[in-house]
Amino acid sequence: MSSHSESIIREPLITGKAISYSQITEDICAPVERMPSKAWWIGFSIAVAGLLLWLVAVSYTFWNGIGAWGLNKTVGWAWDITNFVWWVGIGHAGTLISAILLLFRQNWRNSINRSAEAMTIFAVICAASFIVAHMGRAWLFHWALPLPNQYGSLWVNFNSPLVWDVFAISTYFSVSLIFWYTGLLPDIATIRDRAQGLRRRIYSILSFGWNGSVKTWQRFETVSLILAGVSTPLVLSVHTIVSFDFATSVIPGWHTTIFPPYFVAGAIFSGFAMVLTLLIIARKVLGFENYITMAHIESMNKIIILTGSIVGVAYGTEFFIAWYSGVEYEQYAFINRATGPYWWAYWSMITCNVISPQLFWFKKIRTSITATWILSIFVNIGMWFERFVIIVTSLHRDYLPSSWAMFYPTWVDVSIFIGSLGLFFTLFLLFLRVLPAIAMAEVKLLLKGSSEQSKLKLIEHGHAALPEGYNGSIEVENAKN
Amino acid sequence: MMENNEKKYWKGLEELHATPEFVKLNRNEFAEELPIDELLTESKVNTPTPRRDFLKALGFGMGAVALAACNEAPVQKAIPYLIKPEEIVPGIPNYYTSNYNGLGVLVKTREGRPIKIEGNPNDPISNGGTDAQAQAAVLDLYDTARLKNPVVKGVDSNWDAADKLVKASLAEITAKGGNIRILTNTILSPSTKSVITDFSSKYPNVKQVIFDATSYSGIINANKNSFEKAGIPSYKFDKAAVVVSFDADFLGTWISPVEFTKQYVSLRNHKSLEHKKMSRHIQIETGLSMTGTNADARIAIKPSQHGSAVIALYNELATLAGAAKVTATELPFAKKLTAIAKELWAAKESSLVISGSNDVSVQVVINAINAILGNYGSTIDLDNLSNQYQGNDAEMQDLLAEMNAGKVDALFILGANPAYSFAQASAFTNAMAKVKLKVSFADRANETAASCDVIAPNTHFLESWDDVSARTGVYSVVQPTIAPVYNSRPAAQSLLMWADLPSDYLAYIKAYWEKNIYPSVANAGTFTNFWEASLQTGSVIINQQVAKSYAFNKDINAVANTIRNANKNTSAVELAIYQNTAIRNGEHANNPWLQEMPDPVSKVTWDNYAAINPIFAKELGLTENSMVTIKSANNTVTLPVLMQPGQAMGTVSAAIGYGRTAAGKAGSNVGVNMYPFLSTVNGTFQNYNSSIELVKAEGTYELAQTQTHHTIEGRDIIKEKTLAAYAGHEPAAEGEHHASGEHAESKGEHHADLWAAYQKNGHHHWAMTIDLNACTGCGACVVACSSENNVPVVGRDEVRRRREMHWIRIDRYYTFEDNAGKEITREKEYNQVENYENVKVIHQPMLCQHCDHAPCESVCPVLATMHSSEGLNQMAYNRCIGTRYCANNCPYKVRRFNWFNYWNDDRFANYLHNEAAYLALNPDVTTRFRGVMEKCSFCAQRIQAGKLKAKIEHRPLKDGDVVTACQQGCPANAIVFGDVNDPNSEVAKLIKGDRTYFVLEEINVQPGIGYMTKVRNTIES
Repeated sequence: MSSHSESIIREPLITGKAISYSQITEDICAPVERMPSKAWWIGFSIAVAGLLLWLVAVSYTFWNGIGAWGLNKTVGWAWDITNFVWWVGIGHAGTLISAILLLFRQNWRNSINRSAEAMTIFAVICAASFIVAHMGRAWLFHWALPLPNQYGSLWVNFNSPLVWDVFAISTYFSVSLIFWYTGLLPDIATIRDRAQGLRRRIYSILSFGWNGSVKTWQRFETVSLILAGVSTPLVLSVHTIVSFDFATSVIPGWHTTIFPPYFVAGAIFSGFAMVLTLLIIARKVLGFENYITMAHIESMNKIIILTGSIVGVAYGTEFFIAWYSGVEYEQYAFINRATGPYWWAYWSMITCNVISPQLFWFKKIRTSITATWILSIFVNIGMWFERFVIIVTSLHRDYLPSSWAMFYPTWVDVSIFIGSLGLFFTLFLLFLRVLPAIAMAEVKLLLKGSSEQSKLKLIEHGHAALPEGYNGSIEVENAKN
Repeated sequence: MMENNEKKYWKGLEELHATPEFVKLNRNEFAEELPIDELLTESKVNTPTPRRDFLKALGFGMGAVALAACNEAPVQKAIPYLIKPEEIVPGIPNYYTSNYNGLGVLVKTREGRPIKIEGNPNDPISNGGTDAQAQAAVLDLYDTARLKNPVVKGVDSNWDAADKLVKASLAEITAKGGNIRILTNTILSPSTKSVITDFSSKYPNVKQVIFDATSYSGIINANKNSFEKAGIPSYKFDKAAVVVSFDADFLGTWISPVEFTKQYVSLRNHKSLEHKKMSRHIQIETGLSMTGTNADARIAIKPSQHGSAVIALYNELATLAGAAKVTATELPFAKKLTAIAKELWAAKESSLVISGSNDVSVQVVINAINAILGNYGSTIDLDNLSNQYQGNDAEMQDLLAEMNAGKVDALFILGANPAYSFAQASAFTNAMAKVKLKVSFADRANETAASCDVIAPNTHFLESWDDVSARTGVYSVVQPTIAPVYNSRPAAQSLLMWADLPSDYLAYIKAYWEKNIYPSVANAGTFTNFWEASLQTGSVIINQQVAKSYAFNKDINAVANTIRNANKNTSAVELAIYQNTAIRNGEHANNPWLQEMPDPVSKVTWDNYAAINPIFAKELGLTENSMVTIKSANNTVTLPVLMQPGQAMGTVSAAIGYGRTAAGKAGSNVGVNMYPFLSTVNGTFQNYNSSIELVKAEGTYELAQTQTHHTIEGRDIIKEKTLAAYAGHEPAAEGEHHASGEHAESKGEHHADLWAAYQKNGHHHWAMTIDLNACTGCGACVVACSSENNVPVVGRDEVRRRREMHWIRIDRYYTFEDNAGKEITREKEYNQVENYENVKVIHQPMLCQHCDHAPCESVCPVLATMHSSEGLNQMAYNRCIGTRYCANNCPYKVRRFNWFNYWNDDRFANYLHNEAAYLALNPDVTTRFRGVMEKCSFCAQRIQAGKLKAKIEHRPLKDGDVVTACQQGCPANAIVFGDVNDPNSEVAKLIKGDRTYFVLEEINVQPGIGYMTKVRNTIES
């Protein structure tokens, strides 16, 4: 995998002076091994406050009923399913990075896949919480599973997209979890080897007895590849199935065949935005600038331009098809999105999802950390609005005008959403404390001494010049020494 | 049957030989003594083999403990019949004929408790129909606001104390020759009237004063003036090819709406249209009434123009008849009146002109008009008068004066609630202080009863014997269907007791009937036979006169002058005061079903409001949710604004019946009391006030409306045509007539199905048709359905959140016209509407369509909703986990979610969640838990009952065995339900009719309800 010569103009994936295998271990293990920083404590306190709000709001809902939310006879889903789809979408970057980019040998993924996968798992947990919470009788959620039961041969409805959803999400969660944990094994073993006392015993158990033998590594590589193969279709299938919740219905604005690709693109779009939002902060706070470099940020921004444009084209296509179909209900649904009572939600979505990512065509913007971070937040907001627009504006004015209604969220709706962010960040911050946020073993593969030396030789002998503007850390002088 | 088996098996030889030892031992429960005491002694415990004995003791001990524990459990309220009454079979309902307020009804009881009211098809007034009030009456029986005991001097007491006080006071008053007044509302019971007569002859100086909150004195006096017939005639809308109504809401509230609806619809429904015939209805009114929404043509007028318009119409007709005209005021819509006069003249002797005015002069001119048209004897029957309203405004005014003068010593109040519903309510309350003895028969401590010395609670009509005569010669018996729920007593019985007469009211009624009614009935057999037959059929009709023709030969010029003078000085804004269909005069304001029933026109629940034309509102600077203050000389109220298309410019309408202060938990302080604004003109109370001031008030208020979008957005969900187009044999629906599901298949169309079709059993396929031409929008079906299916009431706040639970709703859409006469149905074109007075309205009942391709069924993850083999879309509440996906995917939005635990959540305790109201629940239908979806079931329980009945009678199910609650309650017979697999059923024929279409059939959900195209008999000009 690493025995090829890199092009001279390709920037190294890991930067930093005196970078070495041991330095990588030191750098990445540091956040796990040192006492938590002040920044971590501040972040964690806020996240736990959010988590408590989530607990209060969810308990309030369970105690009183779904009436605590702003839903009504016309709009039966609003923030609940918006949040669900949003969180599932966010999870998509992790699988894409870990599976598809692995299969395509995009080595730059090695620096970000661990955090992205962790994000996937936590996002799916948040998404699943909304599936359960939105049920009127959540204590019977297991009825949606095809479990043997005493009610005669009472089975689930295999025609229902919600049942497909249950399968899709649970498969997604379990495969992602296994993939993530398998990848963690060598790193956990590293921490184990450095730890003492109780910590050592805990990490020892968690490492499943990793011994670093060649056989172990070989199996590790094989399992990773197999899991990548298993996960790859999931990247496409999960959001396709989520989109079926809408696409198979009869509601204008939902009943659309374009939904599967459009949802998948949107999911990757929002997933990468969330990865950026998190890692731009994390690399700074945890001192991972040498591992998550500008090259990573720029690559992800390019993916955002691509997926953002796909989403933009999808929005346009929906309008075209609505007009072309000649179905008045369909036409009204889309005109209503752009000009009806929820016009502000639609135009927020367009601004955030279609217009703002186009700024990344400018290299200056896509290589600016501040601009990237702000735009990633925009995309997160835009994608939330996309789901809100699809769900609420389609439902609130469907076929019979007599039933048209507005949806207004209550404090419970808002609290559960903010609370789910709290849940997510609590899990993520705990993850940063106890597990290596960057895949050490995989990053180490990127340190290719032989490749760097041959590059330098070429430069020394005048066969190549340093790339313009190259201010990386491999300095000719150092190399000579 | 098995033969009696004489064989006996012996336990042993001891039993066979019956040894004395055996006989002795066999008396005990345990043949051998249990050695318990022995066991418990130490020696026994220590013996080597106590095992068997130990197990015996253990077994006995466990059993004894278990039995003891059983005994501790308190016996709850389920007490079985010790001796089962012969006529009551648990699970089988009994029906009793009765009469609610003049409407003959059938009361359904289950295990001795009334739970549902239906129209009595044998009754000449109701003809099997009901209105929302009648449907809701059963809930009033279980109203917790009713008095539990008589009240004496403001404290809970007993009948002895009440009787003692009243009799003592009466004796005193008699001794000094004092005046006694009995203030009642209209009493329909001839026996009660007779009791009052008897009471009056016992005590000196007794006078009965009749006061109705909504007065018809104008008509009564006008008929006296014109024809020497003081009373309200019987109207025959079924004979009127042209109906012109001046502000009379005859389908909703005017005199006898259920009766009139039946008559009116008979000339407009599918049966009439089969002969391409339809009556024409012109409504001339201020606010848009429910009747106005059904009119073929409508003119919006100010209340002060009402009289002038009637005179103008008289003049037009006089011209046509060659009679003298009277001086008239110039009117902006004179041309339209000319056209109307032509219509009427062409339909001489089969037309009907009515007015909702309570002004005697206006009614006299109306009489003159009907006389010119020759309507007396055909559409108006003055020889069989209605008894439904007998109030006399002048006497009420006199009573107030007498009371103020201190001339009244005792006041008995039966039915009336003047401290609330009298225009001079506060004056009346003050005057009551001067009366020595005030006795109320109110069932609750209402506004008037609160200041009475004694409240002797009257029984509810479902608890007592009574009789009713709503029209001369038509009699019905009111039967008790339950023992009094609270400690109440019929008012008539109280009066009899206080007059020291035999107080058995049933005996009194029977005696009255034997004396006054029985002799007029031919071939009735003995009185007992006659009485029982009357109870069974529900009504007796005697001595009916042939309606005669009457000529008008009084001076009309003077009358016209009076009208002109009365309307000379008017304010810039005029107030029209009306009754709405649900709450009416406010007597039943504490009935949560009625409060939550959407107004047929505005769809507002739980409030009254100031209805203002949108353009006029704009001129006044008002917007949605604004508030206005209405001021008259003596009163000021602030009301929320409702933008009401069809409302006359320069006017505001507000409903009476709201603003009760002592109705009960649900009905008190709902809305604002508008009674004080009633004006008095020429001695009668008028339902308008032409000297008011209207100003914008501070603040905003959101009305709880069940529908907030009012146009069809140009969609094909409503189909309508003019009569001319329909009679010209064009296909009813635009384009090809499609039919759903099976009907389409027979035409060779092929539908691609993704899922396998549901299994059909081939016996029945339930379906429904709704005639949009018959439906008046009255809402009786909504209440009927709530009563039948235990639909929860959720209250104003939840309705504001758009969470009402009604399984059937009536969608109401407006169509406007721009200046060029082009129809405007889209929201974005509203700005082109220049005149909101012109509005066309349609009512479309909407309920679960029981689609054969139900989109709700395929999306439910747990199969909680699925198709029955008989075409029903069923809900398994127990299986529902509440994802709400089905409701989202329902194109008709008829599914209702239990957002809260309505039956067990104290926030809803004022409505149906209380122990008393539970008694009105239908035991055949479960109440739904929170988090569960519900919707119309096509009355699955009634289908089941119908099938069982047919099975027991060993016959196939026949058309009419199964009638849904909405269908049964509908006074217009707009809803037909049945089995389309039975080619002879009415529904099978109608669903193939040329007017039938299916709403949203283009999305191939294959709905099971056919709607019949609305036909309008518009005036071509």
